[in-house]
Amino acid sequence: MKIINILIITSCSFLALGQASGQDEKILKSNGIQGGEKFSKSDRHFTLKVKPLLSEKCFGCHGDPNKKLKGGLDLTSRESFMRGGEEFPQSLVPGDLEKSLVLKMIRREGEEYHMPPKENDRLTESQINDFTLWIAEGAPWPDISIQAAIRLEERSRPITDEGALINTSGGLSDEWTYRRYPLEDVWAFQPLKNPPLPDNSANDNKIDAFVLSELKEAGIEPSKTADPKTLIRRATYDLTGLPPTKQEIDQFLHRYELDADRAWENLIDRLLASPHYGEQWAKHWLDVARYADTGGYSNDYERSNAWRYRDYVIRSFNEDKPYDRFVIEQVAGDELADLSLKKRVNKDAEFANARMEGRYNSEESEWLVASSFLRMGPWDPAMVKAPEARQLYIDDVINSVGETFLSTTMRCFKCHDHKFDPLPTRDYYRFYAAFATTQLAERPTPFLDSENRNGFHEGKERVMELLEFARTKKNHLVKKREDAARAWFSERGLPYVSHNDRNNLPDDEKPPRHVGLNHVEQGQLKVREQDEWIWNRRLERYQPMVQSVYNGPDPAFLNARKLRIKTPGKNQALPVNFILSGGALEAKGERVYPGVLSAVQVATSTGNDKDPFLLGESPEGRRLELARWIAHPENGLALRSIVNRIWQYHFGQGIAKTPNNLGVKGAKPTHPELLDWLVQEFLNHDRQFKPLHKMIMMSSTYRQSSERSDRNQIDQVDPDNKLLSYFPVRRLSAEEVRDTMLAATGEMNPEMGGVPVMPEMNMEVALQPRMIQFSIAPAYQPMPTPEERNRRSIYMYKVRGQADPFLETFNQPSPNESCASRDASSISPQAFSLLNSTLVNDRANALAVRIHKLTQNKSSSINAAVSIAFQSILGRKPEPQEHERMVDYLKAMVSYHQEVKPEPATYPTSITRSLVEEFSGRPFEYEEILPNFRNYQADIKADQMDAPQRALSDLCLVLFNTHEFMYVY
Amino acid sequence: MKHSLVDGSRREFLYGLGASIGSLAMTDLLAKDSANPLAPKPAQLPAKAKNVIMLFMEGGPGHMDTFDPKPKLTELHKSESKSTNGLETGFKFFVGSPFGFRKVGQSGIEMCDQWKYLSDPFIADELCNYRGCQAESLNHPEALFHMNTGSRLGADPALGAWATYGLGSANQNIPGYVVMTELAMPQGGSRNWSNGFLPPHYQATRLRSTGSPILDIQPPDWKSREHQREALNQLNFLNKIHESRRPSHKDLTSRMNSYELAFRMQMEVPNVIDIDSEPEYVKNMYGLEDTETSAFGKQCLTARRLIENGVRFVQIFSGGWDSHDYLERGHSARIRSVDKPMAALIRDLKLRGMLEDTLVIWTGEFGRTPDNNKRGGVYSLGRGHNARAMTMMLAGGGVKKGTIVGATDEIGSEAVDVKHPIRDFHVTLLHLLGLDDNKLTYYHAGRFKQLSQFGGQVIHQLIA
Repeated sequence: MKIINILIITSCSFLALGQASGQDEKILKSNGIQGGEKFSKSDRHFTLKVKPLLSEKCFGCHGDPNKKLKGGLDLTSRESFMRGGEEFPQSLVPGDLEKSLVLKMIRREGEEYHMPPKENDRLTESQINDFTLWIAEGAPWPDISIQAAIRLEERSRPITDEGALINTSGGLSDEWTYRRYPLEDVWAFQPLKNPPLPDNSANDNKIDAFVLSELKEAGIEPSKTADPKTLIRRATYDLTGLPPTKQEIDQFLHRYELDADRAWENLIDRLLASPHYGEQWAKHWLDVARYADTGGYSNDYERSNAWRYRDYVIRSFNEDKPYDRFVIEQVAGDELADLSLKKRVNKDAEFANARMEGRYNSEESEWLVASSFLRMGPWDPAMVKAPEARQLYIDDVINSVGETFLSTTMRCFKCHDHKFDPLPTRDYYRFYAAFATTQLAERPTPFLDSENRNGFHEGKERVMELLEFARTKKNHLVKKREDAARAWFSERGLPYVSHNDRNNLPDDEKPPRHVGLNHVEQGQLKVREQDEWIWNRRLERYQPMVQSVYNGPDPAFLNARKLRIKTPGKNQALPVNFILSGGALEAKGERVYPGVLSAVQVATSTGNDKDPFLLGESPEGRRLELARWIAHPENGLALRSIVNRIWQYHFGQGIAKTPNNLGVKGAKPTHPELLDWLVQEFLNHDRQFKPLHKMIMMSSTYRQSSERSDRNQIDQVDPDNKLLSYFPVRRLSAEEVRDTMLAATGEMNPEMGGVPVMPEMNMEVALQPRMIQFSIAPAYQPMPTPEERNRRSIYMYKVRGQADPFLETFNQPSPNESCASRDASSISPQAFSLLNSTLVNDRANALAVRIHKLTQNKSSSINAAVSIAFQSILGRKPEPQEHERMVDYLKAMVSYHQEVKPEPATYPTSITRSLVEEFSGRPFEYEEILPNFRNYQADIKADQMDAPQRALSDLCLVLFNTHEFMYVY
Repeated sequence: MKHSLVDGSRREFLYGLGASIGSLAMTDLLAKDSANPLAPKPAQLPAKAKNVIMLFMEGGPGHMDTFDPKPKLTELHKSESKSTNGLETGFKFFVGSPFGFRKVGQSGIEMCDQWKYLSDPFIADELCNYRGCQAESLNHPEALFHMNTGSRLGADPALGAWATYGLGSANQNIPGYVVMTELAMPQGGSRNWSNGFLPPHYQATRLRSTGSPILDIQPPDWKSREHQREALNQLNFLNKIHESRRPSHKDLTSRMNSYELAFRMQMEVPNVIDIDSEPEYVKNMYGLEDTETSAFGKQCLTARRLIENGVRFVQIFSGGWDSHDYLERGHSARIRSVDKPMAALIRDLKLRGMLEDTLVIWTGEFGRTPDNNKRGGVYSLGRGHNARAMTMMLAGGGVKKGTIVGATDEIGSEAVDVKHPIRDFHVTLLHLLGLDDNKLTYYHAGRFKQLSQFGGQVIHQLIA
């Protein structure tokens, strides 16, 4: 059963009609055909079904007047079609299905020719049937004026069996504008509806009512309720990304026995109130928003204050900020802040000063931090011409806004009207215009009381040391060069001219560029200059600044290493926007004004009767109005998008399985009414997430076991578990793997927020040279104390050009693309990481030492140790057979370790780098210091442990590798 | 060719690298019939090439300073250029190549005088020089992504990922797609060889040039192989109990088998890459004794061993070609470092009868401009980035040998003959491997995606 909201087009002022180019009207006028004539069924069939197919699928190669005909075959008239091509004279034989070769080709029957050649263009069954029917009827081909009249007549019917017309701002051709969509394909664009509850709505939980009615129809029994141990583990991971503690488990089991429902409800309430909830759900959001601490591409410059945005997202989830506010703050936080500041300071001149000085109150600061969302994508204008760099940014940011909030891949209609969705390229450039005045800047923004500023002092000192080192080395080389330059000038009796000033002198009036420096020193100078920039940049982490945007004309000069608000010059005009044909800046088409996606059918408050989807033209406020449109309570696309995401993170798959694309080619929703019903509930609860989580988790659907009720039947009927007859198993995410280990060993420092955290990374990767534009990036140095390192993984420093190898192996996504749901492959490199990496071995050591301390004085210390290891890592006691086997293993390993002597770990305090000097192509070396390793508090290593401790570490390592550790049921 | 390990462990592999949860199974059209996504698959078209070795010259070698002589530029040397191609602005002047050129071999292929080994007729007559390819981006990472993945954005599957997706891999105990880089990774890093939206089995494994060849492949020194075996036995024991209670959970067996495969890889990988076992004369041929050629030489020799052992696609990245200045020193040093190893690789493949089914490609991400601007106020003899012209050298794998295909204009500023965008080169590469770009598709994000993005043409002039 499907509920389809029918879009009824009532108004005659509908845009596309008004703007249509009217090709068909023109043809009709010149041929004198009157409307209202009756047309034959077969003429209509050709005109409405076959002709559009020919034009879409065939004319590109067999009918484009500007191109050579492929195989000499011209399909633009009946005669030429019948004449056929060079090789195939019998392409079309009217009335003869056997002889007409075209049918074999489109059915992809023989080996030789499949038409159209691309798999993507393959005709559907029903399209093939349309073709077949046409040939069977004698392949009628009415005159173009009759075709035009048929098409015009057809447009007066909003819905036919071909689907519905959709009212948009209009495509580039009438064909596109008046194409029809099967309603189930454009479900996400339809207005929201209050779906009726299913018949069995006696169910307490309405979610179950929807799910069970589908299961009943399929004849599948849902699974029974999972056992309470499974339930608490499932819920705790789901809401916090961490395992439950022993105490939490014991308490829950006790209460569950007394009153299961109440215990479960209390558990959910407790978890939703935990600050770890915000950390876990922020991780989901940051995957979609593409959070990273650097800008990517060749320079990979640090975005020093990006961490403030990460913490904003965590705070927002923990405070349960209504989603409409969450949207508006991220898309237009800077505009909100400036509007508010303007009100407070009154005069325009004073506002400009206040803005440059960052005199924002805490609410305004929060908004500015939120606007960092618009700075999350990879972007660097290096070696790109400024207009193209702007285009790269705007294309990227609108695609991100589209994917994140509207589950719409915007780049699909950048070059042409959308192939499948009711999204004209005009709307792409309207959206583009909404961001055309958005300029990038790091802006002064006071810190909030809620922001964690721990470690600022130590952090700054560490950076200062690196900065001083680079600066001293640089100054030394500069002095050497300038001494040589001075000598050069004085030898010729010329006055000394400084390095900058002599740049434009003719070659014979100045010394060679690198005078006094050999190729080694030239190379070193470049490295030190680059390092000075890098460390200066990192110091901005500790400044009250934020990666944000402002509105204004395009700056003449763009460099990602320093972006500041620029006061526009007198003559600087605001950008004017056009439809760019093929997405090329040079191919300007029709002019466009800022606007929203017309297919969603939600008017903006700035639109007018003729065009309800326009935003204002003033450079200020375009995004705010756009954000309000996204957050409009009738914007079905946006609301379905977010509710579908929430569902997906609970169940592993969305109600619609492609959370970043709810368009025609996205997955169809498995429970469309349930989705719309959840949207209504979400609206009824002020668009807060926590009530939605609770509603979902209280359902029996969520509480089901992951064991199927009838495996054979379900694997046949519903192999992908679309109907949710059991709870889907999931593997821990990369961050959860690391966090769970830290929790198990007791090492975790639960401190929240603050500047990025740098735990140890595989040392080979940490120290391995990494190319940036002109140099090698400084080595990754872990923080010197375990307390600093052992924070939750969401706080880890995220460098686009240097993924953490452990997290990457466990499918942490690249921050360059929005990730709606993570992969969870099991590949051998994961086995290498879990068995051999320092990270996991150090965790095993830490737990081993702790267990050893707890048990060494006990009478049966080895038995106790096995129990504690199981309890800490798997949250349960070992079963007798497991216990017995692990005791044997421990004993065997104790004797093994008595025979071996591990080497101590060493940490270098400096490293020699080798690089090819750019101009000479010759290698040179330089020294890089690693001061964090000077007083480094390493984790406990094998050489510091005795044989029983090392044996215990082996046991812990095995347990960290188990299926039980890795999967949530 | 020895493929001793080809079939033995296929079944195990079935559950090894191949295991994954959920999302893969539905879309993986080609691998649908086989539970092992890397199992060898028949080519879609008749083809000569089975494997590829791609030598990637990162930074963009100057075509007019390697294989595409431009005497006109020598005439114009240091005279003003009004060209607007490239990124450089302000006063620009032409730069003649610092190198002399000559025709080599029977075929008369042109090479600058810096190529001392590649110019040997035994090798030169195997080569096909293609001068018609055009890139699109002027910046290194985007251009690298474009050449390696078909997309400038750097999130799509790499060439090697498509090749292994299409053809599988002959040896299931080592990865099917292997990448070697210098100590520093090229710009854009691992996105140059990622699986993109294809399942993770098709991502390249980077063999690291120093330290462990695969990260964490070996346990710490004090843990012996027996020690590791013992740990795996315990893990097996615990996992079996767990598995017996989760009959519905299909991923468990495959996860355990990924451990067993890992255990075998620990043995296998070091053997395959052990170039010390090669005879002295082979090591000398690849230039292993000379500091200038040893790094690239080791990688070329490793590449041959990998192909011999059933690896489908090998890529070697060699940087330092970005000569904006001091072109003569820069390019001559780079040519010296790759000339001897590359010549040795082609010779070695030819002598072993492997060149016929191994396509060797030498290319950069773009070419260089015929002119330069002043740097620091002086005439700097170098070149900018040029997306409109470049040069490629191909050998083996069914390409037309001893020939030059396409041409650039008389100063090398853009391709003028047999001109094709990168996507056509990609389509041709797949074609040489017996894969049809229009049929080698993967359903992702609502459509069937292909390497060329929207289709392209085979460059027939390159094919024998």
